[in-house]
Amino acid sequence: MKNRFSAAILVLMIVSAALALRLAPYNYASQDRDAAMAPSTARHVTGTDELGRDRTVRVAAALLIGLAGAAAAAAITTTIAAGIGLLAAFSPSWAAAILMFVSDAFLSLPWLFLLMMARSLLPLTASPLETAVATFLVLAAFGWPACARAVYRGATALRSAEWMIHGHACGLQPRQLIRLHLVPHLRPLLLPQFLICVPVFIVAEANLGALGLGVGEPMPSWGAMLLELDNSALLARSHWVFLPIALLVVVLLILESFTTEVENHA
Amino acid sequence: MVFAAAGTILLVRFAPGFFSDAREMDTKYAPGARSEMQADNYRQSTWLIASQEAKGWLDGDFGQSRQFGVPVSELVGARIRVSALLLAQGILGGWLLAICGALPISGLRSGRLLWGLPFTVLLAVPTAAMATACILAETGGPVLVLSLLIAAREFKFLSGLLERAWRSPHLLYGRAQGLSWHALVRMHILPNAAQQLCALTTLSIVTALGALVPIEVIFTVPGVGQLAWSAVMNRDLPVLIAISLLMACVVGVAGMISKDIFTLEAA
Repeated sequence: MKNRFSAAILVLMIVSAALALRLAPYNYASQDRDAAMAPSTARHVTGTDELGRDRTVRVAAALLIGLAGAAAAAAITTTIAAGIGLLAAFSPSWAAAILMFVSDAFLSLPWLFLLMMARSLLPLTASPLETAVATFLVLAAFGWPACARAVYRGATALRSAEWMIHGHACGLQPRQLIRLHLVPHLRPLLLPQFLICVPVFIVAEANLGALGLGVGEPMPSWGAMLLELDNSALLARSHWVFLPIALLVVVLLILESFTTEVENHA
Repeated sequence: MVFAAAGTILLVRFAPGFFSDAREMDTKYAPGARSEMQADNYRQSTWLIASQEAKGWLDGDFGQSRQFGVPVSELVGARIRVSALLLAQGILGGWLLAICGALPISGLRSGRLLWGLPFTVLLAVPTAAMATACILAETGGPVLVLSLLIAAREFKFLSGLLERAWRSPHLLYGRAQGLSWHALVRMHILPNAAQQLCALTTLSIVTALGALVPIEVIFTVPGVGQLAWSAVMNRDLPVLIAISLLMACVVGVAGMISKDIFTLEAA
């Protein structure tokens, strides 16, 4: 019931954001130079930023880009983790030890530091779309180690299950065993991993963006919207500046509730 | 640590932006010097960088910072104390807050979700936003932000751990026998949870090290996190490698201490 309510709010937010983008007379990059840093008006309901860009449109775009990017990155990272975890579980012990050593080495460095380092080393002249894709790909590329460990543990436990031994005795190839038996049994483990990754990636993108290493301007993102809070002139004119952070917290709380529900269920 | 250093070199060397040196855009350099820098960047192979770095470490030399032009050891050494103090205060504050929240809340029969809501909300606020909010409200500082972040993360694990502990049969028996709450916590819960708490401390260090960068940048604290940010913005490879080694070393030592405590406890 609680989960359905959260899902309904999230769907409502996504539909509203899509409608706002579709119906608004401006796009997220359009500048209304006569209304820079404007408070709430009939033309710009939640005001504008320092370049006169409509805040409603930018927040709507940031919501959709953040959710879509984080979900895509989470899907990629879960797939990589599943691949590495399964490979380690069905490899000789030395290969498994190497794979788990690599994942431990990744875990031994703070994640945000790794992300920051990788993201900052991209070319200085990348387009906004390229920076967005790069940011989420970097998140996906560094998010797998913890998840891979969980998959490895799960797959190792399942490897010695009776039905696996039975399948093996019946002549099933390792590939068939993985596809027909292991992956369906690992699904309850992979779904929480995916759901955990989505809010984590949204927060990481916001932190990277606040450090100037996230999605490039003029493409809106949670990180870029947080940077508005540094503008004291903007803060003095309108309280709508706090709208992005308020929405971000609501979105993260909803995603967190999904994670908790799935974890409890598992 | 060697893996972390090798990974950093590979990551930096094969990143598409490795050849774009920020100094090439600096007008204080003559066009000839800028083209020389570019040519110098293109001459650097992975093996050359790795062998130079390894040779330097053996001599106790971490190289020279590309952006500041001073030895890396001098640059990092001056900032370690600031960051270490911030980390220690933040982790201590965070753990105190988490324990003070989790201990009474985990023992409640109902309303745990409601009482734990402040920690859940804190978990949903990005570090950068929390730091900016503190600056806007002109209250708190880097220690408070780090403490709140650690408290939010650890509360989730701690409350789960303690909830399970409260439901264990020997505690139910103790409660039925009329043992006080304080006695149960002191004699049963904390000693039993000590091993897991030690493991969680290692996680706290990793979390705190990650949060160090946005916190130090936003609050302009002259620590290792701020230096790391400055190094990544300027592609300062020697500083990046030194900081990666330092972070891997801190996490490794914390992990080893945690494991040793486990072994001692088991013995």
